[in-house]
Amino acid sequence: MHDKDKLATAAANGNVELVESLLLNGADVNGVNRFGRTPIQVMMMGSTPVARVLLAHGADPNVVDAHAGATPLHDAARTGFLDTVKILIQFGANPDVGDNNNYRPVDLAQQNGHQEKTSKVSRVALFRSFAHYPVIPAFIPSYLK
Amino acid sequence: MAMTQESGIQYEPVAEIGGGAYGTVYKARDKQSGQFVALKSVRVQTDQEGLPLSTVREVALLRRLEQFDHPNIVKLMDVCATLRTDQETKVTLVFEHVDQDLKTYLEKAPPPGLPVSRIKDLMRQLLCGLSFLHSHRVLHRDLKPENILVTSRGQVKLADFGLARIYSCHMALTPVVVTLWYRSPEVLLQSTYATPVDIWSTGCIFAEMFRCKPLFCGESEVDQLTKIFSVIGLPSEDEWPTDVTLSRQNFCPQSPQPITDSVPEISEEGADLLLKMLTFDPLRRISALSAQEHRFFSDQPDNS
Ligand SMILES: Nc1ncnc2c1ncn2[C@@H]1O[C@H](COP(=O)(O)OP(=O)(O)O)[C@@H](O)[C@H]1O
Ligand SMILES: [Mg+2]
Repeated sequence: MHDKDKLATAAANGNVELVESLLLNGADVNGVNRFGRTPIQVMMMGSTPVARVLLAHGADPNVVDAHAGATPLHDAARTGFLDTVKILIQFGANPDVGDNNNYRPVDLAQQNGHQEKTSKVSRVALFRSFAHYPVIPAFIPSYLK
Repeated sequence: MAMTQESGIQYEPVAEIGGGAYGTVYKARDKQSGQFVALKSVRVQTDQEGLPLSTVREVALLRRLEQFDHPNIVKLMDVCATLRTDQETKVTLVFEHVDQDLKTYLEKAPPPGLPVSRIKDLMRQLLCGLSFLHSHRVLHRDLKPENILVTSRGQVKLADFGLARIYSCHMALTPVVVTLWYRSPEVLLQSTYATPVDIWSTGCIFAEMFRCKPLFCGESEVDQLTKIFSVIGLPSEDEWPTDVTLSRQNFCPQSPQPITDSVPEISEEGADLLLKMLTFDPLRRISALSAQEHRFFSDQPDNS
């Protein structure tokens, strides 16, 4: 494997230990792999630990896919991993940006039926946790409607 | 599902996620739907007759399985064949991509680990997918937490199965480090094997769901067997397969240890099922179908 692919691959595999050690050894958190993608764009969306480590090391959560126009938040919302959605927003991901089809993350979550699974209780919890963030998550009210 | 000629058009790779002796696995984006897919490609030798019959059969089998639309098997969305040279064709299988594996799922479970009700549900689905594969005479052969995918809705989907015969012609090209931790004794001993190998792996994974860490972490075949026997005991001379080179004398006599020493959190029913899966003799090991009917899954109210 190409050296510069290592971090992206580790992120895609959800291998949080390897991601962490590569970063500690100087890997560029926003460096692109041979497909022109940064680690946060290709990470295993269900791996909240990987998302957290990348973001804590300064990964840009608003990076846009060159072809699909999707941000990591679009992909996390489409695949329904709410914890990852949460942490992306916490680190400043813009919930209002549209992809090439002009879909916002919330639209993709809804299209894939992920808005139903948040029970009333967890919706409240989610909303509360967002209320503390400095970034006003416009994403949330529509996401929870 | 069409045999597309050129795989480069509809799917754009974004990262390499796996590499074996036979080819590479990519995470890619389906440009039409915007969704991620997993591309698995294998290079096969071709002659005047085209693709080898074994490859055609194997792909046909996978496509036949796909028709059942089984909920616990990753979807095979497309198969592409690209001619590379006169002697070589690249066959690319396009699978639905699931953005979480069981390894990650278990790592995320807050202490004290998964509730029993969740373990039951995961195991039910895993066994359901497995008995489907086995009923079609498909072995998985490499069941491990990385190959068991879990959607954000908690649906289990098995990946990385059924390519054994396509691969087998291409193995041993590059030495790959494969984990031994989920390998059954008969595979470790290089004896003949069949569907029970997957049940052994399932047993190891079942134990891991309670422990949140792997059950047997061997560093070599012999070390792996030693670790296994330290829990299930050294099998008797007449249980030892006759078609193997490694003799029973290489291992210390050991009596079986209570499984609750290794998996303290497990219930009595769970321990019974686990021991039936971790049975040395593949012929006496429980089948996927019988395991689904085990009383561990009967609907008694859970204590947790
Ligand atoms: N359909 C899929 N969706 C998401 N990840 C996958 C899928 N198929 C495979 N993977 C991931 O890629 C890794 C390598 O792919 P795999 O099919 O297991 O190939 P290998 O034969 O190299 O083990 C797996 O461990 C798994 O985590
Ligand atoms: Mg695999």
